[in-house]
Amino acid sequence: MRSRYSSFWEKVKPTGMQSVIMLVFSVISISIMLILGIVMYLRFSASSRQEMIQSTQKLMEQAGENLEDYLIGMRQISDALYYNVIKENDFSDQDKEIQRGMSLLYAANRDRLKSIAIYNQYGSLMAAEPVASQKEDPDVTRQDWYVQAVSEMENMHFSTPHIQNLFDDDAFRYYWVISLSRVVELTNYGEPQSGVLLVDMDYSGISRMMKQINAPANGPYYYLCDGNGRIIYHMRQIQISNGLFRENSRAAAAHRDGVYDEVFEGERRKVIVNTISYTGWKLVGVIPYSVFTSGMFDTRYFIVMLMLLMAMMLGVVNRVVSVRISSPILKLNTSVIEYEAGEKPEIYIGGSMEIRHLGHSIQQSYEQIDMLMRKIVLEQTERRKSELEALQSQIHPHFLYNTLDSITWMIEGEKNDEAVFMISQLAKLFRISLSKGRTVIRIEDELQHAVSYMNILKVRYKNSFSISFDVAPELLSCCTVKLILQPLLENAIHYGVVGMDDCGEIVVTGRVSDKMAVLSVTDNGIGMSAEEVSCLLTDSGRVHGHGSGVGLVNVNNRIQILFGKEYGLVIESEPDEGTTVSIHMPLIPYTEENRKILEKGQRTGNEGW
Amino acid sequence: MKDGKKMFVLFETVLAVLVFTLAFLMLRGSGEKNVPRISVIIRNPDDDQWSAFRYGLRMAAQDQGAELFVVSTGETMTVAEEQEAIEREIENRADAVIVQPVFGDDSEEMLRRAGKKVPVLLVEDTVREEGKICPFPVIKPDDAAMGRVLAEELLKDFSGGLGERTIGILMETAQSVSVTDRLRGFSEALGDQGAGIVWSVSGSRGEEGEMLLKAQPGVDFVIAMDDSSLATAGKCASANDLHGALVYGIAGSTEAVYYLDTGVVRCLVVPDAFSAGYQSLTAAVESTGGFQRRLPCRTVAHTVLRRENLFSEKNQEILYTMSQ
Repeated sequence: MRSRYSSFWEKVKPTGMQSVIMLVFSVISISIMLILGIVMYLRFSASSRQEMIQSTQKLMEQAGENLEDYLIGMRQISDALYYNVIKENDFSDQDKEIQRGMSLLYAANRDRLKSIAIYNQYGSLMAAEPVASQKEDPDVTRQDWYVQAVSEMENMHFSTPHIQNLFDDDAFRYYWVISLSRVVELTNYGEPQSGVLLVDMDYSGISRMMKQINAPANGPYYYLCDGNGRIIYHMRQIQISNGLFRENSRAAAAHRDGVYDEVFEGERRKVIVNTISYTGWKLVGVIPYSVFTSGMFDTRYFIVMLMLLMAMMLGVVNRVVSVRISSPILKLNTSVIEYEAGEKPEIYIGGSMEIRHLGHSIQQSYEQIDMLMRKIVLEQTERRKSELEALQSQIHPHFLYNTLDSITWMIEGEKNDEAVFMISQLAKLFRISLSKGRTVIRIEDELQHAVSYMNILKVRYKNSFSISFDVAPELLSCCTVKLILQPLLENAIHYGVVGMDDCGEIVVTGRVSDKMAVLSVTDNGIGMSAEEVSCLLTDSGRVHGHGSGVGLVNVNNRIQILFGKEYGLVIESEPDEGTTVSIHMPLIPYTEENRKILEKGQRTGNEGW
Repeated sequence: MKDGKKMFVLFETVLAVLVFTLAFLMLRGSGEKNVPRISVIIRNPDDDQWSAFRYGLRMAAQDQGAELFVVSTGETMTVAEEQEAIEREIENRADAVIVQPVFGDDSEEMLRRAGKKVPVLLVEDTVREEGKICPFPVIKPDDAAMGRVLAEELLKDFSGGLGERTIGILMETAQSVSVTDRLRGFSEALGDQGAGIVWSVSGSRGEEGEMLLKAQPGVDFVIAMDDSSLATAGKCASANDLHGALVYGIAGSTEAVYYLDTGVVRCLVVPDAFSAGYQSLTAAVESTGGFQRRLPCRTVAHTVLRRENLFSEKNQEILYTMSQ
């Protein structure tokens, strides 16, 4: 399973920079938005719930006050009847006064009262309003309101709702009343007696008040119960009696005033309890949690829609931002790819400062690489050219022809020893020129080559100049580029000492100076001006007049290619005094390993030995 | 790059679709909710005998969040009139109809046709077919059981034997399946207890009913099989026109209770009309739900009322439902 997920992730994983930025931005922004949305919803729902509870409490307080007013009104009627009518009159001779007083009170409260009645201690009816025929044998002494009144004589008692079972009604009607009963002291024939005053309140008054606060829909509802949990009013009273609905009125009756959480019949709900004073009745408000939820339904939709709209907007913003950030980088990348493919020679420069800087850097790097490449190519070309020229110098036909002509001439003149000498010098010259194809040879060999060369030329030029070699012995076993002395000697002869009538001198010296091997060719010839000297190593296009054709520039280049730019030729000349050309080379002992390294164009690490 | 653009367009499209869906749901939710409308067609619905039934309907409508419409009709109704009333209610977009069937040959066919358009629930049986129980969905009292209970109460009053005492039976119509069931149950329970049913008459409603009853020979017991019969018998008994006959009956009106309260009627079997109304409307609302539920055939309970227990706590609630 895990590998399936990981392979799926590998498939859909964004690889482009823009996609990664967009994905990261989106994930972060949507996560924040989700958290904010949930927090906002929870906060809003909590405050909405609290608000609903508070409004319910206020409504209940108002309803409770109305109920109390209503009940106080009933008590006031009872008090007025007792103290103003019953106590003031004797039933034996003032029954009309009593009846009138009762009528007045009944008329004033007709909409709230069903009847007023006074019973004596035996349960006999003494007076009633409205005047109605009593049922045949109601036996009021067994009715709850009478029993309650007699059991606690000092109090007034409110009964639970019941059918009034006192008077005959030809209209076949039965009234649902709440009885307010109290024991009263009445006077009959001057004798004080106890009796019970009954004020039957019309239940519809309380019912109407409760209906006003009860919404018909499935929302919060309110009911009234007595201190024992017996229902006085409930919008589903009959359903409760028939077992179609259940109410947790006993638990509510046991609560003090306040807000409670309960789970009843598997339903979570808030229960608000408000006690009606004097009666001990409890006005109970019930808010099922489903009401909170259904009330929040539209809010949920709204918040989700808001979040979706924000996600859409963030998507666009993220897209713009990611494009803005990644576009210059992608353009730079594309231009680099194109550059590498050789399609476009320019690197993209644009976008933010950092990316422009990056573009510039890449551009410069590429330019430097180009320059170096061109330089390398040039050097290689020069090297090949030098090698070719060196090779050409080895087999210069004119030099060979002259030398062989001289040997022929010696043999014809029976100068056999001289001829042998010439041939042996020529042989040495060629042996060292070839050097098994090596470029780097010992300085000793190079000097031998120079000696052979000069010996041949001295014969040719009939000893019109002198040559001397003075080389430090420690230099002999060091490395040198082959055939670098010959061009110098050739130049010294041709541009220096030819035509000086036997006084031309060439001195070849070899010294160690500043950890460098310095080989110098000095002549006492005509010399050169400083301007001419300065042009010698740069004027590569100069036409060689004589000799093997290998110029100073060529020698200088070969030395620098092999040993580095810090080495090469140094020319010193004074007109009419002579010229000294010094070869500066590193002190590298000649070994097979060093030779191979130098010929590959690398450094040996033994320079300055 | 192209994939990223595609993903972006897809992402925005999905979100846009969700937003539109939610907006649609919000608009639909904020509109008026579909409140089921239930029509009730019963004869003379304002009559006292329907008080508890109507109260049950009203309470169920409140609990179920349904709209209740009780059709005004007269004391009598023909099959054609009832058909017209049902069709009118269906035209008025009634989602279900609760009907008191009218006796007639075409009654069942008419109800079947109506039942194909909207759920139809009865409050009484139609003509009972042998071997076929509950041809239509109906929620009503168990009439035969009430008849039996009435007979048992009668026998109980006379220690199980009536001897040579005579019985007269009064009913509003002999064509009502309910009344015939009650009568059947009563006769079965009475069995061979000695009492002879001297007469059994129908047409008890109104003054004609009183005249009819007075014209009957004197009996020891007058058994009223329905509300109007019990009212007539109660009125005659109050006027001492029944030659001292004791009245027993099956009824559910406050008038019947009044006669019991005043001692004119000896015993009353009261059907739980509140439950019948409540359950009828609840079942009718449920039948209008997303899928057609099969309407039930169900009976509701009944209570024996006597003067002694008339004002017990439980029976006071029965009186309460009758008084609404």
